[in-house]
Amino acid sequence: MMRSIEQAVRLAGFTLLEYLRSGRVLLEVAAAVACYVVLLRPTGAPMSAGYLFTVLGIFSPAMAIVTTSYMISLGDRPQGYIVLAHNVSRGAYLIGLFLAAVTVVSAIYGTLCLMAALLNRATDLDLAGWFLATLPLILNVGLIAALTILLSPLVLGTGWRLFVLALVAIALSSNVIGGPVINQLTEINPLLVDVLRAVQTILSGPLVPVFYGYQLSISRAFTQMAAWSNLLAQCSLLLAFLGLARYAFNQRDLLFSAS
Amino acid sequence: MTDVIVVEGLTKRYGHVSVLRGVNLRVVAGEAYGLLGPNGAGKSTLIHLLLGFLHPDSGRIRVLGSANLEAQRRLIGYVPERQRYHSYYTPREYLTFLGRFDEMPASQLRQRIDELLELTGLATVADRHLRTFSKGMLQRFGIAQALLTDPDLLLIDEPTSGLDLDGQQELLTLLNGVRQRGHTVLLCTHRLAEVEYLCDRAGILTDGKIALELNVAEVRQSAGSIIVQTGPLDLPLRQRLEMIGREVQCTEQEVLISPHTPELQAKVLQTLIEANVSIHALEPQMSRLAQIYLRTVRGEPVDNLLVSNATPLRTILRETLPPPPTDDIDPMLKRLLQRSSTNPPSQRDGKQ
Repeated sequence: MMRSIEQAVRLAGFTLLEYLRSGRVLLEVAAAVACYVVLLRPTGAPMSAGYLFTVLGIFSPAMAIVTTSYMISLGDRPQGYIVLAHNVSRGAYLIGLFLAAVTVVSAIYGTLCLMAALLNRATDLDLAGWFLATLPLILNVGLIAALTILLSPLVLGTGWRLFVLALVAIALSSNVIGGPVINQLTEINPLLVDVLRAVQTILSGPLVPVFYGYQLSISRAFTQMAAWSNLLAQCSLLLAFLGLARYAFNQRDLLFSAS
Repeated sequence: MTDVIVVEGLTKRYGHVSVLRGVNLRVVAGEAYGLLGPNGAGKSTLIHLLLGFLHPDSGRIRVLGSANLEAQRRLIGYVPERQRYHSYYTPREYLTFLGRFDEMPASQLRQRIDELLELTGLATVADRHLRTFSKGMLQRFGIAQALLTDPDLLLIDEPTSGLDLDGQQELLTLLNGVRQRGHTVLLCTHRLAEVEYLCDRAGILTDGKIALELNVAEVRQSAGSIIVQTGPLDLPLRQRLEMIGREVQCTEQEVLISPHTPELQAKVLQTLIEANVSIHALEPQMSRLAQIYLRTVRGEPVDNLLVSNATPLRTILRETLPPPPTDDIDPMLKRLLQRSSTNPPSQRDGKQ
C-alpha cells in the first residue's frame, strides 16, 4: 500500500513537470486571472467570505473537470506503456494522474485565495474560517476529479461510460423527475414515473455530500455534527470513486490512444 | 535449462477479431528468440500480454517463473515499436525518473545512467530534450531505458521500424552488443535479416499461432545461394557441374550453388567457360529463412526447405509469387519479389 502511494506521488511529480514544461499551465493561469478580474477584483464594496467561496466553490470544481481531463490525456498515450513497464502499478498510475490534477487545481485555488487576501480581502474571514471553508471545497474538487477519471475512456469502455453518465443524469434530474413537469405528461405510465422517482432518489444520495459540502464552504458552520459527518461522507465518496476507477482500470486491456 | 517465458494455449480476441488462437511458446534463459510474422499477426499483442498490459482470453503465461506479470516488470526490459516518450525531458532526467519508479538506489542509478548513455551513444546529447531527437536517437534511447534495471528478459518490438539503412545497421550493432551480455531476448519483427543476425531460434507467427519454429543457426548456414543463368546445358555438362560438389545443382539453363562460396562459384564459371556456354546472369538468392517464412505465412509446406538440398528459390517464386508487397516488408525481400514479379520466367527465358 505504502509503495503504491509512493509510486503515485512520484508519477504525479513526473506528470506535473511535463505539464509545466509543456506550457499548458498557462491555460489554467489565464482562467484564474479571468476569474479574479471578473468576479473577485476590488469593486469598492467590501467582499464577503460567503461570496468568495460561492465563486471559488463553483470555479474550482469546474477547473477540476478541465484539468483532470488534460491529465488523463497525458496518461492516455503510448508513453504510458514505458512508465508502466518500469514497475508502476496500474493503480499508482491512475492515482498519480488524479493527484497531479488535484495539485494543480488546489494551487490555482490557493493562488486565487492569496490574491483575494492581498488585494480584496473578505471582511468576515480569518485563517481558521478559510481553513474550514477550504476542507469541503477541496474535497469537492477531489470528488469531481475522481468522477472525471472514472468516466474517462482510459478507465471505462464506451458502454459502461454511457451507463454511468445516464445514472449521473438521472441523479441530477430531480427538477424533471421529481417536479411537476413529469406529472403533466399524461402519456407516461404512472408506474414508470414512480420507478423513476425511486431511482432518482437513490441515485441522488451521493450528491448530498457534494452539495452540502458546497454549502459548508460558504457558511463554514461546523458547529453541528452533521458538518463533520459530511466531510467523512465526502472522503468516503472520493475513495469509492477512486476505488471503482482503479478496479475498472485493472480489469481493462491497456490500449492507450495512438495520438 | 531455465524457462524464462512459457506460454501455453494463449488466445486473445479484440471484439470479434481473433488475434491469437492458441499460441504455445517457450524461451529459455540466455536465448535470443525471434518472433517473425507479417504486420497484424499479433506480435505486439503477444508482447503486451507478456507484460500484463493485456489480459488473455484463455491460456497460461509464466514469465521468469511467475504468473504475476505485473510483479515481474522490474526484471523485464521493454523496447516498444512506437518510440513515444515524454518529450519535455532530457534522456538523463527521464532515465532518472524511470529508475526511481524502479526503486533503484540513487548512487547506483546515476552510475547506471552514465553507462547506458555511453553504451547507446547518447552521452553527448544527454541534456537535450527528447523532442529534439531523431528517430534513430529515440530508438537508441529505447534500448537505454529498457536496460536500466539490467533486466533478465528483454522484449523488443520491431526495433528498426521506420529507420533508414544506416540507422538500422547502427541499431542492430547495438542490439548485438546487448545480446552478447547474456540477456534473454524476445525480438518481434517482420524483418528477417534482424532475426538471422541476432537470434538463436525463431518462430513464425501466422494465423494466430506459431506455425513453425526453427534453429536460426542451421538456417543461416544454408543461406547464401546463387543462381547462374546460362545458355542451354547438355546432360554431360550438367553431370560435370554437379560433380564439382553436392552444393551445385543444374537445370537445363540454370546452375544453383547452395550454399555459395567464391571457390565453388569460380569452379562453376570456369567449367561453363571451358564448355563455351554463354553466361547471362548471376543472381543472389533469397535467404533460406525468407523462403521458409514466405511459405509458412502462406500456409504451404516447408519440409523440403528444412533439409540441405532444398528447392531453389526460383522454383518457389515461379510457383507462388504473391501480389506486390507492402512498404513494410523487409527491403531485401521486397527487391527480390519485385524483380521476380516484373521479370516473369517466360521473359527471362526469352532473352536467352
